[in-house]
Amino acid sequence: MKNNVVITGMGIVSPLRPFKGIDIFWDALCLGEDSIKRMNLPLMNIDRQWPMAGIDMSILADDINMEDKFHFLSEFALNMAMTDAGINGYRNIGLSIGTVLGNILFKEKKLMDGTRDKKGYEGRCSLSFISSYLADKYNLKGPNIVVSTACSSGTDAIGIAARKIVSGKTDVMIAGGVDVLSDFAILGFDSLQALTEDKIRPFEKNRTGLVLGEGAAFVVLESGSHAVRRGARIYGNVLGYTSRADANHLTGPHREGRGLTDAINQTISEANISLCDVNYINAHGTGTTYNDLMETKAIKRVFGKTAYEIPVSSTKSMLGHSFGAAGVTEAICCLLSIKNNRIPPTINYSVRDPECDLDYVPNVSRQHDVKIAISLSAGFGGQNSVIIFGEA
Amino acid sequence: MSIVVTGISKLTNAEAERIINKFITGIKPIRIVNALEQLTIAAVGSVLDNAGVAFPVGTSSIGIYIEIDDAIEDIKDEYFNNILNEGTMGVSPLLFPYTSPNALAAQVSIAFDIRGESITMPINHSCSNVIEYAAECVAGKYISSAIAGRIILNDRSSAVEGGKYVAEFFLLEKLDIAVKRGAKIYRHLKAETHENF
Repeated sequence: MKNNVVITGMGIVSPLRPFKGIDIFWDALCLGEDSIKRMNLPLMNIDRQWPMAGIDMSILADDINMEDKFHFLSEFALNMAMTDAGINGYRNIGLSIGTVLGNILFKEKKLMDGTRDKKGYEGRCSLSFISSYLADKYNLKGPNIVVSTACSSGTDAIGIAARKIVSGKTDVMIAGGVDVLSDFAILGFDSLQALTEDKIRPFEKNRTGLVLGEGAAFVVLESGSHAVRRGARIYGNVLGYTSRADANHLTGPHREGRGLTDAINQTISEANISLCDVNYINAHGTGTTYNDLMETKAIKRVFGKTAYEIPVSSTKSMLGHSFGAAGVTEAICCLLSIKNNRIPPTINYSVRDPECDLDYVPNVSRQHDVKIAISLSAGFGGQNSVIIFGEA
Repeated sequence: MSIVVTGISKLTNAEAERIINKFITGIKPIRIVNALEQLTIAAVGSVLDNAGVAFPVGTSSIGIYIEIDDAIEDIKDEYFNNILNEGTMGVSPLLFPYTSPNALAAQVSIAFDIRGESITMPINHSCSNVIEYAAECVAGKYISSAIAGRIILNDRSSAVEGGKYVAEFFLLEKLDIAVKRGAKIYRHLKAETHENF
């Protein structure tokens, strides 16, 4: 009998109605609320603004230092997921976290202040610090992993966690992703001319680039037998996961979507489902010319004519691109679409691109029977990750 | 299921350029920007050569699993200090992609045309996590073989060309496949058989 893996808890802090819980996040997402506005850099004093999806921390009662934001968001979302799953007390819970830049604001601040030799600097700047910190604080004694695969990090964190359960290393893993807006990343993507000055318009003809965002999202994974034994609520099953390299270019995707096509095909094979079983695709959908075209081509190459019957949406149109958090955020969107039989929209969509000709659920969410949903992630370095969720 | 090690390499920056020159004609043309990248490509080429695996690979049968410690922070420091020193004029579009730890695995995948899994784990201690996970991926039949290893700070006070960083890599595969292709077996690893999803 296969050791199936299920999701029993979810937690998220996103720019959309932050700190209000999963249901309010989902309602806002399905209403097509836009969390993006023009903002300054977090720390550096430069007279320029960019469209960004930032989390409004001022709604919290306590003041959170910019340098502590990364840890605060991580803990908030982790707590929400653990509480949702009711998983306290199990002694071998593992932790798998995806992050691209880690606590980068702490590093920036120390470099700006010239205090990098201060005690504790090296440890807190390390990308692996967050997983050790959370494991110690929450007594998570199972496998402890940090994964950093650019914008696929969150999806890989879930996939690796699922494999740890399949291989019998533990019965419970918490997988998450977290990243925060930083001067470091905003200036870097700006130098690559990847940021839009307009709204983010995934798959639309007039798309001009991505909008950066931030957030933290966690899910609790369990072996099916463990979840059933303790009477847990099950949001869905992890049916398959694949990582693939484009082996093509350091910053741009393979123009024909070679790696993503292979990843989708392999994951569908692993899930042992038919192409027509797929009811929803949550796309990477960054709003850049090449990503959206590549993704459309990959979906069409895998699904053929069926591709035109599957709703595909980009939730980044509302949330921006939160790097390490994106994959887990979008996995949660897939699970909530299964739970609620509703598909969130791609907002800011008005002019159809003849080359991106699928059903992108433009502007308005849609009631739809979702039994199986796929989340696609792609990133710098030709990373491609695909994960499939099925109803419980 | 028995997983075996059939290739080993261990290099410092001091040897990287000489090693790369040995197989430069067998890899895809690639612009090497920094020392960590050069070291990683040299070490992976060396482990493939040692294991008798031909390259460019051109399939998704091999995965690459890399651990990197705070060596990656040196690139971030350089990138951000340039900005602090020169303002927005100091932002380097060439250096920025290398601040993402997976850039090293990406350049390896491009150089050797390795299209399988690509996983980078920033870990601050031993590389047991990445070796264990790579072995699980082979045992779980997610891939046929795995290049697994790490890049770490060897001596912070040393110059880059003097061996500041060290890379060590292993090629892992199933015993029956290794035997079938007549590979030298360095070591057997414990790996539990399990069905995938």
